[in-house]
Amino acid sequence: MSLPRFFRGIRLPLLFLLVSLLGGAVAHAKELKIETKLIWGTNEEKSPKKEHEPVDEATAAKLRKVFKWKNYFVERKVTGTVPSRGSNQFKLSDKCIIEITELEGPKVEVKLIGKGQPVHKAIQEIRKGEWFVYTGDDDKHECSWFVIITELDEK
Amino acid sequence: MLKLQAWVDGELSKPEAARLAELVRSDKEAAALAAELTMTRGFLAGNEPEFKLPETREFYWNKIQRGIERAGADAPGRQDLPWLIALRRFLVPASGFALVAFLTVFSIGVFNRNPGAGPSTADGHYRPLVEEQTLSEHVDTISYRPRSENMFVVYIVNKDDAADDDDNDAEEMDDAVTQ
Repeated sequence: MSLPRFFRGIRLPLLFLLVSLLGGAVAHAKELKIETKLIWGTNEEKSPKKEHEPVDEATAAKLRKVFKWKNYFVERKVTGTVPSRGSNQFKLSDKCIIEITELEGPKVEVKLIGKGQPVHKAIQEIRKGEWFVYTGDDDKHECSWFVIITELDEK
Repeated sequence: MLKLQAWVDGELSKPEAARLAELVRSDKEAAALAAELTMTRGFLAGNEPEFKLPETREFYWNKIQRGIERAGADAPGRQDLPWLIALRRFLVPASGFALVAFLTVFSIGVFNRNPGAGPSTADGHYRPLVEEQTLSEHVDTISYRPRSENMFVVYIVNKDDAADDDDNDAEEMDDAVTQ
C-alpha cells in the first residue's frame, strides 16, 4: 500500500480528528468565575476590627477541622472573572493581591502578591468545590490570616 | 431428404446409392432436389474460407491448453485479493476512528475531570498534581492537603519574623541569665 493511498483511506478520520481536537481546545478555553476571600482566624469571640463579619457556619466548620482557631471572620470578599487564556487580579487588601491566570489543561496559575512583590505561585487543575488556601500566622495578635480561592458555578 | 443429401455427399452404401440413383432418375421432384443439393455443395466447397494457422496445429492447441492451465493456477490468488481488500477497507477507517476517539477523549480530559479517576490516595480522594514555586526569599512555604477536607493549603512562614522571634528568644534567655 503506497503512502498517498493510505492517507486517502483515512482522510475522513483525519478530518474528524482535527475537528475534534479543535473542538476540544475550544471547549476547554472558558472563562472562570472566581471568588477570593480574606479571612482571619482567632480564638477571640470578636474580631478586633469591627467591620469584620463572621463567616458562615459551614465555612467555619470546615476551617475548624483543619486549623486551630475557634472563630473566623471575613475581612473582604472579591468575586471576578478570569478570561480564557487571560489573567485577573483580586485585591484583598492594600498588601495582598491574588493574580489568577487561566491556562491550558484546564489549569490555573495562582500567584500571591504581598506588598507588591510576588511571594508564591502554584499551577494546578481547577476543580469546582476545592479550596485553594493561602495562610500565615500573625504572632503579634495571636491569629492567622487566610486567603481562600474557589471557582464558582458558571452563570 | 436426408438420404438424398447423404447420397449427394457420397456417404451411402452401394445398394442404397443405386436405389437412390434410380429414384432420382424416375422422380422429377427428387431429381430437382438432388440437383439443388449438388449445386449448394458445389458453392460451399468452392467458397468456404479456410483459416490458415501460422504454426502447426499441435503447437496451436498446446498454446491454448497452457493458457487454460496458467489461468487455473492464478485463480486462487485472485480469489484471496478481494477478501484482503475488503478487510483493509474496513480496518483502515476503523483504526482511524479508533485513533480519533482515543485522542478526542484524552484531549477533552474526560477522565481527568472525573474525581475518582485521577491519582488518588488511600482515602480515595483525588489528588491533582500542583506545580509550586516560592518567589520571595523572605518567606518559606509549606503546602499540604488535609485528608479530611477538599482543599490545598499553602502555609506562608515569614523568615524575617522567625529570625526576629529567635532574636527575641535569645534576648529573653540573656535576660534570664543576667537575672
